[in-house]
Amino acid sequence: MGEKTNDGSTMSDATHTDLLAAALSGDAFLLFDGAMGTELQARGLAAGELPELLCLTRPEVVTEVHAAYVAAGADVVTTNTFGANADKLGEAATVEEVFSAAVACARAAGARYVAADLGPTGQLLAPMGTLAFDDAYELFARQVRAAVAAGADLFVIETMADLAEAKAALLAVRENSELPAFVTMTFQEDGRTFLGTTPEVAALTLSSLGAAAVGINCSLGPAEVAPLAERMAPWARCPLMVQANAGLPHVVDGVTVFDIGPEEYAAAVSGMLDAGVTVVGGCCGTTPAHIAAERALLDGRVPVRREPPDRFAVCGPQRVTSLAPGAVGVIGERINPTGKRKMKEALRSGNHDHVIAEAIAQERAGAQILDVNAGLPEIDERAVMCRLVDELLGVTTLPLQIDASDPAVIEAAVRSYPGKALINSVNGKAESLSAVVPLAARYGCALVGLTLDEDGIPATAAGRLAVARKIVAATDAAGIPRADVVIDCLAMAASTDQSAPRTILEAIRLVKAELSGVRTVLGVSNISFGLPFRPLVNATFLAAAFGAGLDLAIINPGVRRMMDVVDSWRVLSGEDESARFYVEHYAERSDAVPTAVPSEKGGQAEKDAALPADPVERARRLVLDGRGGPMADAMREVLLAHDAMYAINEVLVPALDEVGRRFEAGTFFLPQLMASAEAAKAGFEVVRAAGEKDGAPAADKGTVVVCTVKGDIHDIGKNIVRMLLENYGFEVIDLGRDVAPETVAGVVVERHVRLAGLSALMTSTVPAMAETIELLRERAPWCKVVVGGAVLTPEYAEMVGADFYAKDATETARIAGEVLG
Amino acid sequence: MGAAEAYDIRSVDRGEVLRYLGYAGQKLSPELDGRIDETVSHCLGTARPAGCVRVFDVSGVAEKDGVPVIGLAGTALELRGHSIAEHLEGALAVGVLAVTLGMGVEVELRRLSLTDRVGQLVFDAAGSALVERAADAAEARVVAAAAERGLFCGTRFSPGYGDFPLATQPTLLATLDAQRALGITLSPELLMTPTKSVTAVVGLFGEPKEGTGREACGTCLCRDFCLLRRSGRTCGRS
Repeated sequence: MGEKTNDGSTMSDATHTDLLAAALSGDAFLLFDGAMGTELQARGLAAGELPELLCLTRPEVVTEVHAAYVAAGADVVTTNTFGANADKLGEAATVEEVFSAAVACARAAGARYVAADLGPTGQLLAPMGTLAFDDAYELFARQVRAAVAAGADLFVIETMADLAEAKAALLAVRENSELPAFVTMTFQEDGRTFLGTTPEVAALTLSSLGAAAVGINCSLGPAEVAPLAERMAPWARCPLMVQANAGLPHVVDGVTVFDIGPEEYAAAVSGMLDAGVTVVGGCCGTTPAHIAAERALLDGRVPVRREPPDRFAVCGPQRVTSLAPGAVGVIGERINPTGKRKMKEALRSGNHDHVIAEAIAQERAGAQILDVNAGLPEIDERAVMCRLVDELLGVTTLPLQIDASDPAVIEAAVRSYPGKALINSVNGKAESLSAVVPLAARYGCALVGLTLDEDGIPATAAGRLAVARKIVAATDAAGIPRADVVIDCLAMAASTDQSAPRTILEAIRLVKAELSGVRTVLGVSNISFGLPFRPLVNATFLAAAFGAGLDLAIINPGVRRMMDVVDSWRVLSGEDESARFYVEHYAERSDAVPTAVPSEKGGQAEKDAALPADPVERARRLVLDGRGGPMADAMREVLLAHDAMYAINEVLVPALDEVGRRFEAGTFFLPQLMASAEAAKAGFEVVRAAGEKDGAPAADKGTVVVCTVKGDIHDIGKNIVRMLLENYGFEVIDLGRDVAPETVAGVVVERHVRLAGLSALMTSTVPAMAETIELLRERAPWCKVVVGGAVLTPEYAEMVGADFYAKDATETARIAGEVLG
Repeated sequence: MGAAEAYDIRSVDRGEVLRYLGYAGQKLSPELDGRIDETVSHCLGTARPAGCVRVFDVSGVAEKDGVPVIGLAGTALELRGHSIAEHLEGALAVGVLAVTLGMGVEVELRRLSLTDRVGQLVFDAAGSALVERAADAAEARVVAAAAERGLFCGTRFSPGYGDFPLATQPTLLATLDAQRALGITLSPELLMTPTKSVTAVVGLFGEPKEGTGREACGTCLCRDFCLLRRSGRTCGRS
């Protein structure tokens, strides 16, 4: 090491490959360069100017910076292409021109290796922002192709705050080049990225996805980064990389300065080498002197070997679910339409409130992973699955298990998933193995393998082991770590075959014993099919399965008895150390299963002397006061003496009308209107549930599509409109925010919807509204359009071609009545 | 990376939050009243207000296509339009600021949009009031920087006001390195995310400006964040 040359072309290719290859296997250190931006500013770059353009306009300055790092002993120099994507460059230059010039600058400096630099796009990805994952991927892919054409040796993807964006960049490298990608994310002092990702999540996700190295750069000084790098170490199956800033920046006399000098910096890096970091360099504020100090440090050291511990681990963008050997985990099974009427209805209608409620309830009840299944024959499973994943990411931090049989659905969901998902499932059939195993390998997912194949489900434990062997042979060949493979020995009904339970337990034992490192999972409740009092049988079987070595149970965590088994097993297995969790949660329990699960807010009986005793009066009052809590009870009482039509037409609707009048008159303001709508909704739900029990059809006044238009993520106004329309008995298809014109038109045509409500908050998104209306006119001339939103006026509405302008939600409800009535 | 500063903001004016909600003296039920208070403190607990501030000398005022353009020394930033020219008329330097409440607020707004739409409305209003407080805090840094140089501040003015174009945003944010320092991203429609973010410029003048509210500390929005008052000074003439 330490070989330096001023002319990259004279260096032998053998040496060239050797150091990089050794570094990639963790056998050698690799030293990157230091800051580019702050060095260019020191040479006169104006603030706010695109630094990448200097590669074209003043290449000698860029080369000078690179050369100083080469002279300081850097093995790798990073091209000046941090923001060189098509979007940021705009008209100024093409991506290809910049990368070509940038790599040339680096080569001219005599760099041993040239790393093509990929920084964030500058936009926020959907669903929080408006940039689609595929569009982010395309921005990166163009950079990757340009860098490869220009002759870069490797990629460094850096300063990422959004795991989805880091994933898009890494996939772009993997799918458009043969070169290794080093990926670093940037963390705040709280140990999370701006989007909440932890070092553990970043390391697990990106190393599973095939990053050549993972790590941390920017934002913090080396002292602050060190503990974060240590947190990453046990989760990275590849070399660890750190490029810290030279301390935290501050402004002195109008100039941004960094305080940590070369010696102090190298001393902090020394500690990180002890923790297993093998790829280092510097970020903002570091100089050639910092790199020289690191060179001196590395030359006296050898890399520390790391062995990531054996554990099953998956993660969402903010949290890891991991199981050490011997620990057990719970996968919530409720988001699956099979045999669940309400879930079917939710997936069909596109109103996912019920799905979201199930997700939240399962997380609260102790689920550690959520299974998500959108398999209904009459829906677009792929689109619904993707939307569900987006929405679930908004309400739960639990990692998701993507449950689908169609490989295209699985791929669509896991490709952009910000984390490491669990795929459910592959099986022993050749067709399944060849379609699904490569997906898990390519996207770095854990994988459930069902022990069935072309011959069905083997009747014996040995037969199931044989299928499991076949699956594991395929995953081994694809390079999927054993800990990421989870075998499902398939629970069968004890009522039809009483030997079934023993066979399953034996199969679990065999799989664990014969296929070392592999984990097991089981959907438990099939076992009790056809028997009375199923929860008891399920619970007993679950305990037996844990005893046989089951790692993950797919159950309904809302069933107290099942979680009781899980919690008590964790005491018996030693997983719940000192029984701390158990004692805390069970000390007050007098019976194994209370008859009723105490519900959250709302269930508590609110006794209020000020409320009228007459239930009809009380319900009216509750709507006017905007109190949803006691509403369900009041409505149930109303229904004791009256039918559903009375409850709706004589109680709820008049109360809502009164709320509308008060809002118009200004005696109510917006939060009051909404609180009332919310209370009324609680009442409608009681009426609807009662109606379903009696077989009476729910009142349906017609369907309205609502959304916020493309490019706009402001959805408050749209949400208010939705609430009110639902209150008045309209079926609302809420397409969400940032919705493309094609999506709106597609749904309107498919469902033959007669009214669409479009919302826009910003002047800059009004054109998207006009576009949407134009497309609707073309494809769905029958559909009327009502528009609203902060910047809208009647004149604007007319200009964009809308049929109606609504100044607020109550007016939209009136218009809907007029159009659909 | 640009220098960012976290602002410790522990309260927000409840009246301000109500104003964002369109309140006009309606009688509130105790439930709603309590819910608003809860949501406001939830927002305060979720937000991580932070900002970047830099001051640049005015390098010149030119006219391009009949529109005045103010240049700032050492930057690629150009402040275009009649409104900003009028607002900054006579300014010797300009403070450029960006503040945000962070992605946590954005994530919570999205969660609420899926689970609790009344909560979303109130949380959003609380965030709007809070981010203005963060902008006050950032502006106070400009006021202090001005006082250091014996200059006096005007009030802040944001892209999108008058004919000061929103198209200023990309360069303004880049000048502060606000994506790296604060995590502020910009969509093609020039929408900032986190949405609870504010960018603005503030003029620094040789003479005190009228009508800024800075005539007395009692009427100054930056009062709670003032760096001068701590050392017993004011930004006023005396």
